[in-house]
Amino acid sequence: MNEQRRQVLQMLADGKITAAEAERLIDALAREEPESSPGAAPRPKSRPRYLRVVVQSDDDSGGDAPSRINVRVPLQLLRAGVRLTSLLPPEALLKINAELDRSGVPIDLTQLKPQHIEDLIEHLDELTVDVEDPGSKVRVFCE
Amino acid sequence: MIPQLVTYRQRRPDGRWLRLYVPVVPVLLVLSPLLLLVVLAGLVACLVFRISFVGALRAVGHLLCVLRGARFELDDGHTAVYVSVR
Repeated sequence: MNEQRRQVLQMLADGKITAAEAERLIDALAREEPESSPGAAPRPKSRPRYLRVVVQSDDDSGGDAPSRINVRVPLQLLRAGVRLTSLLPPEALLKINAELDRSGVPIDLTQLKPQHIEDLIEHLDELTVDVEDPGSKVRVFCE
Repeated sequence: MIPQLVTYRQRRPDGRWLRLYVPVVPVLLVLSPLLLLVVLAGLVACLVFRISFVGALRAVGHLLCVLRGARFELDDGHTAVYVSVR
């Protein structure tokens, strides 16, 4: 209980204010708390550093034991990869665009700016992909 | 900071493990003459494809620096390969 609420309850106990007044004061304090106490703001959650891909398969096609793939990629590595793509010459991007278009993925890579990809990576921490079927399970998430 | 150690582990068919610990900096020093050739080849490739050589060098360097913490594990029946960069 914070100090102001305690004071209100103390005034009520001392008979200085009525129960209705105390209720109104406590309501007012509750409304003020989110804006007036920056120190009590929610702690920033720790930023994820890795992108994890976990694949578990119970298929016995390759052997007698289940297969498991576990890949952990630093998110900074994705950013560095993005910087590498920015080095691609425009002619190569045009060729990639044409091939993507032919494959039914009409994305114009020349319009994709590094800032957009940076924003995409920034929001990757909220990404969780879970795919489950009877024989296998795939999880993609950030940690 | 570039990675210091690359750990490679592989399970052999007889169940025994092959473990390789590769210290990156000493290996780079040993291979530095070869790296010089690679850099020259990269320079030529950048000129041919009209890519900024300095930008490419910086990007590759950055890529190398952020490799720390990467891990790859594949376990499939009798075969298992673990690669870890620290």
